[in-house]
Amino acid sequence: MTQLFKRKPGKNTDEEIKPSSHLAIGNKKTLVAIYIILGLFSLVVLVPLVWLLLTSLKSAQDLAHNTWGLPQKYIFSNYIDAWSRSRISTYMLNSVYSTVIAIGVTIVTVCPISFVLARFNFKGNRLVYYFAIAGMMIPIHSAIIPIYMMVGDMKAYNSLSVLGLIYGAFRIPISIFIMESFIRVLPKELDECAFIDGCSTWKLFFKITMPLSKDGIVTISVLAVLGCWNELLVAMLLLNKTNKKTLPSGLMGFLAEYTSEYTKLAAGVMIAIIPAIIFYAFASNKIEKGMIAGAIKG
Amino acid sequence: MKVSKKNIATILLFLVPGLLIYTYFVVYPVIESGVLSTYSWTHVADKKFVGLDNYRATFASSLFWKSVKNSMIFMVSATTLQVVIGFFLGYLVYLQVRGYRTFKVFFFMPTILPSVAVGFIWSRIFSPSMGIMKPLMTAVGLGEYYVSPLADPKLAIAAIILAQVWSSCGVQIILFNSGFMNISEEVIESATIDGAKGWSMIRDMIIPMSMETIKMVIILQLVGSLRAFDLVYMMTTGGPNHATEVLPMHLFVTAFKNFNFGSGSVIAVVIFVLSMAITMLMRKMLARESLN
Repeated sequence: MTQLFKRKPGKNTDEEIKPSSHLAIGNKKTLVAIYIILGLFSLVVLVPLVWLLLTSLKSAQDLAHNTWGLPQKYIFSNYIDAWSRSRISTYMLNSVYSTVIAIGVTIVTVCPISFVLARFNFKGNRLVYYFAIAGMMIPIHSAIIPIYMMVGDMKAYNSLSVLGLIYGAFRIPISIFIMESFIRVLPKELDECAFIDGCSTWKLFFKITMPLSKDGIVTISVLAVLGCWNELLVAMLLLNKTNKKTLPSGLMGFLAEYTSEYTKLAAGVMIAIIPAIIFYAFASNKIEKGMIAGAIKG
Repeated sequence: MKVSKKNIATILLFLVPGLLIYTYFVVYPVIESGVLSTYSWTHVADKKFVGLDNYRATFASSLFWKSVKNSMIFMVSATTLQVVIGFFLGYLVYLQVRGYRTFKVFFFMPTILPSVAVGFIWSRIFSPSMGIMKPLMTAVGLGEYYVSPLADPKLAIAAIILAQVWSSCGVQIILFNSGFMNISEEVIESATIDGAKGWSMIRDMIIPMSMETIKMVIILQLVGSLRAFDLVYMMTTGGPNHATEVLPMHLFVTAFKNFNFGSGSVIAVVIFVLSMAITMLMRKMLARESLN
């Protein structure tokens, strides 16, 4: 899985590299064909999203007669209705809370483990490493029944902290996989100098390794956000109180409740996807890099 | 660095808490699924050991085999579509025609949307009352042949696969694109001097040179689509008549709708074994392929 990693992870080398100039397209016809294909696929991607946006701005009658056209009158009250009648703001806060816990758990557990595995030679180092990353292969479905029961035994249904803890635990393998290879390529001389200067392991970790690993920490956090923010199955099973639901599980309920009021539903869905869009707008580069580093998606 | 008496306590403190959390919430539940699959759980109060009875019952159930078949259809079609589309669009983006960044942003956008939103959008697109398929077919005179895809047992799974491909193809495009970026310039250059261009460039250079990427994407994609649950749940909840009930959906229904945790655990074990087997088998098969 590390094949995409020929360039050192975390270094800003992939910006503005041109493919071999000999691949430049001299032929006008080919160029036009390329643009047509790219344009068609962009339409396929964008039309459903534009449809959602337009629907959210129509009145119900308008939508019935004019499903795919522009709204005759732009109605913004759908948004106000959706916002006030659903609990989207609560769902969002809950999602933020559980995601923050998950990121916290991931960083606090993964950084020290990756540091030890990447920097210390001891018998069984690789054994621990493979044990830790083996979880990358585990689909959450194979673990969901015991998790459901464990949380029941802990009397922790509707606890967003426990949900975040479980999300965090499932982020550990992939994050160690990324972090370990990141710390491994940091210059070894640093450790040795620090050690000769009488630096303790703690100091080495906090003062030298961690500050140099910022990019790696950002990568595992970005991936954790993507993994947790949209998670549906576990949230659905562990949360049943309306005021404890996360965005995906809460949105499910909202969709079921107002089944026929499409314009309001569309407005609700629009509100729900706005955080993801904003996140993408600010972190698109980091997201892409993270996905390449982890080469995995839900 | 070496472990010494002085730092061994610190090292243990660094390793143990994280590994405990991981073991407790990830490793143990998978093993526990295996244990639970040998118990009868019809009433939560009387949990009793039944050996392989749950396995016999599950493997004799036609619904189980239907869900295996659905999962296979889903995996093979979604993977094929995503690898092919991802490869070619990744290549077109790699050529870096003017404005390629904008296209990359467009293609990637659906992958970050919540699957609940994707399911909502595509359910509407396929729906008879507001979907785009009915007006399109009427426009070309085929209106009478229109059936609502999500209500038709034969079409429903294809409809979900399309939505799935729409929502996650961006990842494959990015992965292929970055794989192509790693092919060394000299290789491409010397191929160009030898007269490779257009299709022959793709066939003779790009494909062989990015075999590793192709392999990795195929494996990730197969295992990833074995896990597909959200869109199925959103768009059909497994229907009509179990036609879209893939394995994770079947597990959900068995364990959390019918409260048969024993059989549910059998399905959990099957999903686990399948994803392990697919990864190893594909690794082996594809390794042999690249030797030839």
